[in-house]
Amino acid sequence: MTKVVILDTDGVIRARVVGTTGAEHRRLANKVMEEALEQANLSFDEIAYVIATGYGRINVPFADRQVTELSCHAKGVASLFPSVKIALDIGGQDAKGLKIRNGELVDFVMNDKCAAGTGRFLEVLADTLGLKLEELGSISSKSTNKLKINNICTVFVRMEIVSRLSEGTPLEDVVAGVHDAIARRAVNMIKRLKIEPDVVFTGGVAKNIGVVKAVRENLGCEVFVPEEPLLSGAVGAALLGKEYTLKAMAKGEPVQRKERRLEEATFFK
Amino acid sequence: MVTEQKKKAINRLQTMRPLRANIDKTYTRMVEASKAGKPTAWCMVNWWEADPILYAMDVAGVYPENYGAVCAADGIAQVHLERCDAEGFPNYLCGYARNCIGYAARLKDFGEVPPDAPLGGMDKPMLLVNSTALCDARYKWFQSLGRYLDAPVWTVELPHPGVKESQREGAYERDINFMVEGLREFIAFLEHLLNKKMDWDKLDETVNDFIALNRLWHEINELRKARPCPMHSRDFWTCMTASLYPGGDLKESLKLYQDMFEEMKDRVAKKIGAVDPEKYRLVFAELPPWHDLKIFDELAERGWNFVVESWAYHPPKPMDYSNISDPLERIAKQTYQWFTGYFKDALKNGEHMGYFAYPYLEFVRDYQCDGAFLHPLLSCRTATNHLMMVQDRLMQKLKVPSMVMEGDIVDLKAFDHAGALRKAEAFEEIMDNYKQARREAGMAW
Amino acid sequence: MAKVESQGLNRVREIYKDRPRRARELKEEGKKIIGYLHIYPVLEMLTALDLVPYSMFGELREPITKADACLPTIVCPFLRSLMDLGLKGKYDFLDGAVTAHMCEVGEKFTHVWRTYIDLPYSHYIDTPHTTHAAAQKQHKEQLKEFKKSLESFTGKELSPQRLKEAIKIHNEQRALVRELYDLRKPDPPLISGTETIRVMVALMSIPVEEGNDLLRQVISEVKAGKTTTEKKPARLLVWGSMIDDTALIEMIESAGANVVMDDIWVGSQAYFADVKPTDDPLDGLAYRYLVELKSPRTFPATPVGLTKKVYPEDLEHRFSYIRDYAKEWNVNGVLLQTMRYCDIHGYEVPGLRDYLDNIGLPNTYIEWDYNQAALAPLRTRVEAFLEIIG
Repeated sequence: MTKVVILDTDGVIRARVVGTTGAEHRRLANKVMEEALEQANLSFDEIAYVIATGYGRINVPFADRQVTELSCHAKGVASLFPSVKIALDIGGQDAKGLKIRNGELVDFVMNDKCAAGTGRFLEVLADTLGLKLEELGSISSKSTNKLKINNICTVFVRMEIVSRLSEGTPLEDVVAGVHDAIARRAVNMIKRLKIEPDVVFTGGVAKNIGVVKAVRENLGCEVFVPEEPLLSGAVGAALLGKEYTLKAMAKGEPVQRKERRLEEATFFK
Repeated sequence: MVTEQKKKAINRLQTMRPLRANIDKTYTRMVEASKAGKPTAWCMVNWWEADPILYAMDVAGVYPENYGAVCAADGIAQVHLERCDAEGFPNYLCGYARNCIGYAARLKDFGEVPPDAPLGGMDKPMLLVNSTALCDARYKWFQSLGRYLDAPVWTVELPHPGVKESQREGAYERDINFMVEGLREFIAFLEHLLNKKMDWDKLDETVNDFIALNRLWHEINELRKARPCPMHSRDFWTCMTASLYPGGDLKESLKLYQDMFEEMKDRVAKKIGAVDPEKYRLVFAELPPWHDLKIFDELAERGWNFVVESWAYHPPKPMDYSNISDPLERIAKQTYQWFTGYFKDALKNGEHMGYFAYPYLEFVRDYQCDGAFLHPLLSCRTATNHLMMVQDRLMQKLKVPSMVMEGDIVDLKAFDHAGALRKAEAFEEIMDNYKQARREAGMAW
Repeated sequence: MAKVESQGLNRVREIYKDRPRRARELKEEGKKIIGYLHIYPVLEMLTALDLVPYSMFGELREPITKADACLPTIVCPFLRSLMDLGLKGKYDFLDGAVTAHMCEVGEKFTHVWRTYIDLPYSHYIDTPHTTHAAAQKQHKEQLKEFKKSLESFTGKELSPQRLKEAIKIHNEQRALVRELYDLRKPDPPLISGTETIRVMVALMSIPVEEGNDLLRQVISEVKAGKTTTEKKPARLLVWGSMIDDTALIEMIESAGANVVMDDIWVGSQAYFADVKPTDDPLDGLAYRYLVELKSPRTFPATPVGLTKKVYPEDLEHRFSYIRDYAKEWNVNGVLLQTMRYCDIHGYEVPGLRDYLDNIGLPNTYIEWDYNQAALAPLRTRVEAFLEIIG
């Protein structure tokens, strides 16, 4: 997925778009950008600074700068929750823990090697259960006796839930167990940062109320979720861009901009 | 009585039972000693290099390596491993080390033994005793515990010469000397730490008891060469604890081994085997799946008798200690003998891994094994490194096949019980084929 | 003298690209090439007997195919790679190999190597793990044995005189390397971390005197500004497991840092301690090669009077030299790296990070596998760390 956020020097969000670009994200980032520009009623030349972040950040030919999603998420989350100390972000293919002080990233942990702690885990298992991802949260809320899943590998968990279902374990307990497994994994990862409140949970997986509940239980403390959990990275990137621009303007310096064109990435043709 | 019970596939030794009860008491003893203000230590298994000294100075020891297996079987290991990860340690380290580090972190949190600690737990020690024998974890792990424990760490060294180098002129004397000097310094350290002097008479007696214990244990295992083999590996692993994790009364252990020796002699005379009928004689390397030892019962039902195992757990080859007056020299020579006892023959046979790998060649030949069951462990490099060489050498030199089944020391789900039984069935055919091949080659078994 | 066309940094690149070439040339001329592993084999003894020391490295870019038959996948991938190369005949030009007790797998590697690869000469030094007086004495005895075995192999006597001469030449190389490292102190450093590693690998592939000449050329080229480096906000020290290839350092530098200092084997660990002059040269050698070499595989001697371990003091005792490096090279971040399955460095990580946190030096930890594909995902972590300290 490609997300774009446009904001102005007052920090007001003028556009927010989440575009499914799929495997073609490298080529089609410009399309999502165009949609955002339309939403904001702006032309590309009116944009002072563009920061690209995330997995495909090097494939954005119209960016002025690349910044890691770790710094951008930290920035974005801190702007929404100024008292945040720890942020957990679980996306489609990775999971991150961020330690934030004074609105800045100071330490991090990442899991980008193993599917088990990421959105992929839920995708595979939802598919196995014949369910849509969006259904998982509400189904698990009916659970009264969540299944304790001991396996750590996605492949083995898949086998385990199929056999439990055939033994008669109710679907909602299985789904709650799956949520608990991913939450446990994520919480164990962020414990390396020494947990302190406030804790914020973002990323696509944070839209699943079942996982949010499981994260709260595993952490043993309150967990805050932004209204739009998918956008904190883009918000952060835009805020960083705003900072650079305002700093340059205050010094009377030109805003550093690379030669940039709003078009498809050409190096894949 | 017997008609109601299903006949057990492995005919366990009677004398095994009291020995099994011995080990579990070690933890509670240590916690009690600690509460009474007596000196306590967390020790690496040190193959009687540090143990006699600690014993003679009345220090109660526990072995976190063994505690790792206890926690794994109990199920709490997972909590410790997760805590160790959260502390920032890489997750590829030794499973027992990670269990202990996680435990130590919780011990620090609670300020005392955590309520969920199995077998009474391990209390805060006043000393940590490293051993450089066999692997790096066994001197790095205790060092890393400085984060949680303020106990000083002492490292007892065991030389690891190459097979070639060990047979050079003067090599033996130099290595023994190095060990003896090290032990002398260890005693000086302990005297200062414990504020008491070594009782040299007690040390002398203790060392002799250890030597006698190991000699007896060796003789017991020699009797397993008989056909049918009177003692299964399961009994070995249960009963080795009196030798490897010495705790409690040494004289008591001596008596228990003596009783075992009598029972063994009796079985040999009456041709009683641990598995009847004994269709296949197996060797096992290296650490068994502690949580799933009943697989051996199921294999026994197929006629599999495990007649020898785990080089590292076996006592040293006998030697004459009678004219060595210095107890420290006796200690050094016994431990060095355990490690290098096979080196001379290894060199003669052109083998370079004189410990871990070469001894299996002698085991298989002397105990007439038809096959080897090799058990690589995901989180123990030390017990896994050499297994491929073992497989290769056993086949090259003795025409004995191996079957390989992976497992782990703390992640118990890694061992596929059903898979092992399936493999075993297929392996029987292979063992039969090689029995034939050995016969044709004119070999003794 | 070899008929070499190129000099200095060009020569370094040449050697780096085709490491065995010089060794093979020397072998044609009748020299004997002795491979050595890690920093504990005493190189002076080889040089003194006119043997050519050649460091045994792996090959990051070569997939491991043959080593699986004798070493399991859960061990150090560098050693597996080296074993693989050996089994493929890539080290067939060696006349011998010297290894030492660098770590448990390094020790076992020696026995496995001897089993499957036959070389006319091989010797293993069981370097003690601690630095107690008894260990120092033992180490000297072991070096005496090493000396005897070399004399037996070469049929020549290794006189104290020859040994002292060799020590002088090797100390010269160490001093030259330190001079090169001094050129990393300015901002920007005059030579990049990537280029430095190339120089180190090259030095470990040619005879010591040729190395000294090469170093002098490199130093003058670097001083003359023949290398291009940029000023970057991050000046890093890289600590940890074996690095014998530019790939990792290159990735770190291209992410936006200058690697200005290191605490690794193919770097400061091999070169920063000199052999002190002693009447019996074996004393100086035994001391340097056990006590002075800094590596976590050595357990610092516990004093007999110690009754309680004070954690911060222990960390200070073990790691203060890193603080000194950081100060001298004006380092503002430490990157800790371990290769997967490296126990020696793995156990150190939390303690070292505690120490660095205490002294206020930002630090991060990455774990990598000994292959190129493993590096790309790590880039984000490195970049994020640079953003934090930037």
